[in-house]
Amino acid sequence: MDQFDFIVLAVKTLVILVLIIQVVPVMIYLERKIAALIQDRPGPNRVGPLGLLQPVADALKLLMKEDPVPSNVNKFLFQIAPFLAVMPACLSLAALPLGDFFEIGDRKYLLQIADLNVGLLYIFAIGSLGIYGTLFGGWASNNKFSLIGAMRSASQIVSYEIPLALGVTGAVMMYGTLSLREMVFKQSGLLLGVLPNWGVFYQPLGFLVFFVAAFAETNRLPFDLPETEAELVAGFHTEYGSMSFASFFMAEYMAMTTMSAVMTTVYFGGWQIPYLSDEALFSMIGSRNILALIQVAVFFTKVMVFMCIYVWVRWTLPRFRFDQLMKLSWGNLIPIGLINIVLTAIGLYFWDKR
Amino acid sequence: MENFLPVLLLLFFAVCLCIGIYTVSHILGPKNPNASKLSTYECGVEPEGSARVPFKTHFYLVAVLFLLFDVEGVFFIPWAIIYRDSLKEGTDILIAGGLYMALLVLALSYIFRKRLLRLH
Amino acid sequence: MTDGIFIAIGIFTLLCGSSVILCKSPVYSAFSLILSFFGLAGLYILLESPFIAVIQVLVYTGAIVVLFVYVVMLMNPNSSGAYRNWIFMIVSAFLAWAVSLYLLKALTLGVAPAVGGAHALSLKEVATLLFTKYLWPFEILSIFLVVMIVAVFALAKQSKETPNE
Repeated sequence: MDQFDFIVLAVKTLVILVLIIQVVPVMIYLERKIAALIQDRPGPNRVGPLGLLQPVADALKLLMKEDPVPSNVNKFLFQIAPFLAVMPACLSLAALPLGDFFEIGDRKYLLQIADLNVGLLYIFAIGSLGIYGTLFGGWASNNKFSLIGAMRSASQIVSYEIPLALGVTGAVMMYGTLSLREMVFKQSGLLLGVLPNWGVFYQPLGFLVFFVAAFAETNRLPFDLPETEAELVAGFHTEYGSMSFASFFMAEYMAMTTMSAVMTTVYFGGWQIPYLSDEALFSMIGSRNILALIQVAVFFTKVMVFMCIYVWVRWTLPRFRFDQLMKLSWGNLIPIGLINIVLTAIGLYFWDKR
Repeated sequence: MENFLPVLLLLFFAVCLCIGIYTVSHILGPKNPNASKLSTYECGVEPEGSARVPFKTHFYLVAVLFLLFDVEGVFFIPWAIIYRDSLKEGTDILIAGGLYMALLVLALSYIFRKRLLRLH
Repeated sequence: MTDGIFIAIGIFTLLCGSSVILCKSPVYSAFSLILSFFGLAGLYILLESPFIAVIQVLVYTGAIVVLFVYVVMLMNPNSSGAYRNWIFMIVSAFLAWAVSLYLLKALTLGVAPAVGGAHALSLKEVATLLFTKYLWPFEILSIFLVVMIVAVFALAKQSKETPNE
């Protein structure tokens, strides 16, 4: 690796990070607009055309606010907790493949920060660190609501991490790899000549478990017990203001994006367009770099569809009670995940025997 | 190892991002604290004692169970990676996985049998 | 460059490790433990075993330290005056030193770690070894995990008998 490669690598990493962070303002706008649509009201429409500049206004407002540190908190942990939430959210992007590759001269660069052969486990490992932002934030605040919120959040994240891993195990058995990039390649082509060869058609049960667990992992409604406005004020971030609050918010949205991206990659063919192979598209366009741009666009479209489902579910379903939440994970999702593994093992045995 | 160099870069950018957010908000935000602003917000009611009180142990129980199941669940993944390849060489892998799965199911059914996760 | 990264991560891990035992507040100790485990994962990556590194983060940093943090936050142990007994401290320091010396000896005399020339195992090779050659130790370990769940139940039942749980 020479200097030029290193610079390209650094720029690529920065661009991908900025791209994913940009999903946050887009989602804030979309979330408010979809909420308005569901509740039959106009939604943000004052700042800019169609209220499009609303996220910018929100960000500016948050930046200009005072960030008080209450007097009886644990100062160091209180101030560092929001960043403990943001850091894992940023780091877990590393293994996501946004597209195949682009070319500069005759050198090829992958459209992925790092093609790790432990990709999927890496995302889970880094994702499991997100819990500390919540735990330390809630504890350091020295506020009863925050502490209860943090404890709830921790038990919830911890309970749903297991179905998350079990749900995806079926898919790993099928692909025989943990590299997200290879998984995408294995989903090219057609299944039975009609359907795209996507993981979801082989692993509907596994996808269901993963999908539900992903909602709980990101603390989204119907699993937002850590934040319940009515009973806990705002849970673990009651005491936070200004950009510290915004950091928690950003981390939540980035975690949602990562989860959606993993679902896209493992179950929905990643950057590939159904019924149109990469090579066929390349022969139509004739440029690798334009193809790369199209792939990134397709990838983000699929991710945004999942993000919109997140919003849709949020404004449709009521919140769970805490014991129901625990029961759903330990009593339903984990057994279903195990059954899925058994079914996949039996299925693959006969499929490969053919 | 070469593969993880970009991850180190990403870590660096993420730290920069955090420092950036912190500095910008500190430069732009006003600073005029007063006593009531710095008090704990518990819905306007005067806070009654510290929040650092002993808590229900049930949460701890959930964490211990999570730890055990997490370890078991994670080790299913190496099995899953080699499952298809090993199947070509015989059904040994099926038996290994079956034994492991049986133990997991045993543990899970024990938890349900003893109602370990009941919240009361 | 690898050496530079190794030294940087090594110093980071050592600093965090020593702050685990030097911090007076147990919460800060737990926090340092997270960072030092993270550094340890970095060292595993330098040893060309990303699988171990990922498991280190997933199991130790993501699960075991969560337990520690839980204990600290739930029980709120009094940070001042715990085990400030000089004799106790000296004896435990000596014991720790002896054990680590013994481990170091075992490591240098036994299997040399795969630094540099030695062949680093790929993910699939590790998995294959785990489920063929080391299958029985592996299954026995998972039996231990089940036993631990029973133990957890026994402990939880005891705490239920005391009036304030």
